[in-house]
Amino acid sequence: MKSDPTFLRDLHVGAEFDAQLCMNCGTCTALCPLGIELMPRKLFRRALLGDREGVLGQKDTIYSCLLCRLCEANCPAGVHIAENVRTLRVALNRELFGLAEA
Amino acid sequence: MTGRRIGVVVCQCGGNISDYVDTEKVRETIEKDADVVSAQVQMFACSDAAQQDAIREIREKKLDGVVVCSCSPKLHTATFRAMAERAGLNPYQYTQVNIREQDSWAHTHDRGGATQKAIHLARAGVARTALSEPLEKIRVETLPAVVVVGGGVAGLRAALELSEMGISVHLVERAEELGGHVARWGNLFPNDKVGRELVHGLISAVRARENIAVYLGAELLEKSGRLGAFQVKLRTRSKETVELTVGSIVVATGFEPYAPQAGEFGYGLPGVVTLPEFKELLATGARPLAYQGRPVRSIAYVYCVGSRESPDRSGRTYCSRYCCSATSHIATVVNGLDPSVRQYHLFRDIRTYGRYEALYEKALRGGSVYLRYSEEDPPSVTSSDGQLVVKVKDRLLAGEEVELRPDLVVLVTGMTPRENSELTQALKLPVGKDGFFREVHVKLRPVETVMDGIFIVGAAQGPKNVAESVASALAGVSKAGALLMKGYVNLDPLVAAVDPNLCLWCEECLKACPYGAVRPVEAGDKQIAEVSSLLCKGEGACVPACPKQAISVRGYTNEQVTAMIDALAQEAA
Ligand SMILES: Cc1cc2nc3c(=O)[nH]c(=O)nc-3n(C[C@H](O)[C@H](O)[C@H](O)COP(=O)(O)OP(=O)(O)OC[C@H]3O[C@@H](n4cnc5c(N)ncnc54)[C@H](O)[C@@H]3O)c2cc1C
Ligand code: SF4
Ligand code: SF4
Ligand code: SF4
Ligand code: SF4
Repeated sequence: MKSDPTFLRDLHVGAEFDAQLCMNCGTCTALCPLGIELMPRKLFRRALLGDREGVLGQKDTIYSCLLCRLCEANCPAGVHIAENVRTLRVALNRELFGLAEA
Repeated sequence: MTGRRIGVVVCQCGGNISDYVDTEKVRETIEKDADVVSAQVQMFACSDAAQQDAIREIREKKLDGVVVCSCSPKLHTATFRAMAERAGLNPYQYTQVNIREQDSWAHTHDRGGATQKAIHLARAGVARTALSEPLEKIRVETLPAVVVVGGGVAGLRAALELSEMGISVHLVERAEELGGHVARWGNLFPNDKVGRELVHGLISAVRARENIAVYLGAELLEKSGRLGAFQVKLRTRSKETVELTVGSIVVATGFEPYAPQAGEFGYGLPGVVTLPEFKELLATGARPLAYQGRPVRSIAYVYCVGSRESPDRSGRTYCSRYCCSATSHIATVVNGLDPSVRQYHLFRDIRTYGRYEALYEKALRGGSVYLRYSEEDPPSVTSSDGQLVVKVKDRLLAGEEVELRPDLVVLVTGMTPRENSELTQALKLPVGKDGFFREVHVKLRPVETVMDGIFIVGAAQGPKNVAESVASALAGVSKAGALLMKGYVNLDPLVAAVDPNLCLWCEECLKACPYGAVRPVEAGDKQIAEVSSLLCKGEGACVPACPKQAISVRGYTNEQVTAMIDALAQEAA
C-alpha cells in the first residue's frame, strides 16, 4: 500500500479525528451489531496511513454503520468511533459524491 | 580443639530457612562440636530481640567468636559485626554462614540434604572463627577536595552540590566549554525546559562559586594514591601540568550519540538525519519546518537505531532509554511548529516509562501514527528520483507492506560509550560489556566503582536522561560527601599481608594484583613484597599466585581456609 501523507488533509479531516488513539483491542469489532464486516480499527488504520484506495474502497462499510455508539461507549481508549465514522462520511460525501457541507 | 569459646546462632528466617532445613537438628549437632559453648535457634536473628539475646550470650558465656547461620553475608554482615561490637567482641571474630540463598532456597526439594549441608557450612564457619584474630579497622584521613571529570549536566550539578557542602572542587572539562550535550538541545522533555538555558544557569552558578576551579580544554592524565588522598595530574589547555591532591574523584564523562554506518537505514541519503541532528535543526526554531531549503511536510522516525541489537551484531544490546521519550516529545514540538506535518513513528517497543507515557499520549493526540516493526524485519529506507521511500510491514494490517514517502527520515539513534581509553587507563576504571563504566551493583551500589573513592555518575555509567543523570550525580555527591566530610573513614582490615620470612620477592603477587597494591620494600638484606592496605581490596588474587605461601588475606588466612575445607569434608553426624 502506498501511503499518501496528504490524504487526511485533502479530506479536510482535522483534529476531531482521533483514531490514532486506538490501541487495536478489538472491542468495537466484537460489539458491533453489524458483525465483522465493519471494523473501525482497520478502517481507521488505513485512513491514518493515508491509504486512499483502502478507505474509499470501503464506502459501503462506512455508510452501513448505524452510529449506535455501542462500540464507542465501550472503547477503552476513548476513541470517538462513531464521530470518526461520521467525519469520514462527510469527507466521502464531498470526495466521491461532490456534496457540499451543510 | 582450640580452646576457643564460640557461640552459634541458627536462624529460621521466619520459615525461609526452617521450612527446608531442620534448624533444631543443626543446633543440636553443632552444640556438641569442639569449641562451641553456646548454640541457639532464632526465628529472626537480625531482629532486635534476637540480637539482644546474642549480646547477652556473648557477655555471659565470655564468647570470643560468633557464627550466625542465616542469609547472604551481603545482607547482614554489617548488622552482626555491629552486634558483636556492641557486646564487646571484636567484629572480625564474627562469621556469617549463608544457609538461605546457598542452602534452603537452593534445595527446597530435599530437607535431609539441606540440613546436612547447613551442618557442614556451620562447621566451616566455626572452624574459620576458631582461628580468627581480633583486627583493627584501618583509619584513613580524607581531604575535603574532589576532582569532577566532565562538565555536562551531571558534572555541573555534582560540582555545585559538593561545593555547597564546603568541599573544594576541580572541574575538568575536555571540551572548550562546559555543558555537554544538553547545551545543544533546544526544548527538553518532560517539561520543555530549554537545554541551553538549563545548562547556562548551572554554569553561571558554578562560575559564582569560589571553591570551584574550572579547567577547560583539560584532561586527567594520571592518578596515584588512594581514597582520601589521590594525587592527580591534569594537562591544561596551555599544555601545562597541574598536580592536585584530592579525597575523591567523580567521573561524569557522559556518552556519545550512536553514529550510524553509511547506508544503515539509508543514512547518507539526503534527507536522512539522526535524532541529534534533527534536534539541533528544531532548536533553531525556524518555521515553516524545512531541511536544506526544502519544506518538510511529513517525517518518518525509525526507532532503536544502534540500540537493542542482537549480541552477534554488536555490544549495543541495551535500550538507550531516553530516545522513545525524546522522540515522542520532539513530535509534540513539531506539532507546535506546524500541526499539519504528518509524523510516522516506526518503533519496536514504546518505552516511555513512568510519567513519560504522557508524552506518547500527547504525540498520539497530535496526530502521530505509530507503526511497530520487528527486529527480524526492519524497515528499508531508499531514495527514488530524490524522493525518500520507506517500506515497513505494518503489524496492525496483518503484515501488509506500507510505503511511505516522507520528506525527512529521522534515525532515532541511541547512546554509546564515549571514547575515553586514556581516562579509563589512568583511573583503572572497570568497563562493562556494553562499554560504559561499570558500577559495583546496578541496584545496590549504582555510582560506586571497585576503586574506593572513585564514583561514576550521569550517562558515563549507562544511558540516562537529564533527570536520571542529575539523580545519579546527586547520589555520587552524597557518597563522596559521606567519605570526605568526617575527615576520615574506617576501612575493613581484611586485606593481604606478607610473611617477611617466607617472601622471596619473585613478583608473582605483583603481577596478579589488579589494583596495583603490591610493591617491593627493603627488609634487612633482601627485598620483599609489601601490600598497601589502602589499595588492597582483599580479593586474594595474589594468594594462589605465591609459590611460597607467603601472602594471605587477613580473616581468610591459609590456615583458616584449610580448616574450613576440612570441616566441610568432615562426615556429618
Ligand atoms: C538527541 C538527544 C536528545 C535528548 N533529549 C533529551 C531530553 O529532551 N530530555 C532529557 O532529559 N534528556 C535528553 N537527552 C539525554 C541527555 O542529553 C543526557 O541525559 C545528558 O546529556 C547526560 O549528561 P552527562 O553530563 O552525563 O553527559 P554529557 O552531556 O555527555 O556530558 C559529558 C561531558 O564530559 C566531557 N568529557 C568527556 N570525556 C572527558 C574527559 N576524558 N575529560 C574531561 N571531560 C570529558 C564532555 O566533553 C562533556 O562535556 C537527549 C539525548 C540525545 C542524544
Ligand atoms: S474498541 Fe477502541 S481501542 Fe479497541 S479497537 Fe475499537 S477503536 Fe480501537
Ligand atoms: S457505531 Fe457503527 S461501528 Fe460502532 S457498534 Fe454501532 S454500528 Fe458498529
Ligand atoms: S538474619 Fe538473615 S536469615 Fe535471619 S532472619 Fe534476618 S534476614 Fe533472615
Ligand atoms: S528508548 Fe525506545 S528507541 Fe530508545 S532504544 Fe529503547 S526502545 Fe529503542
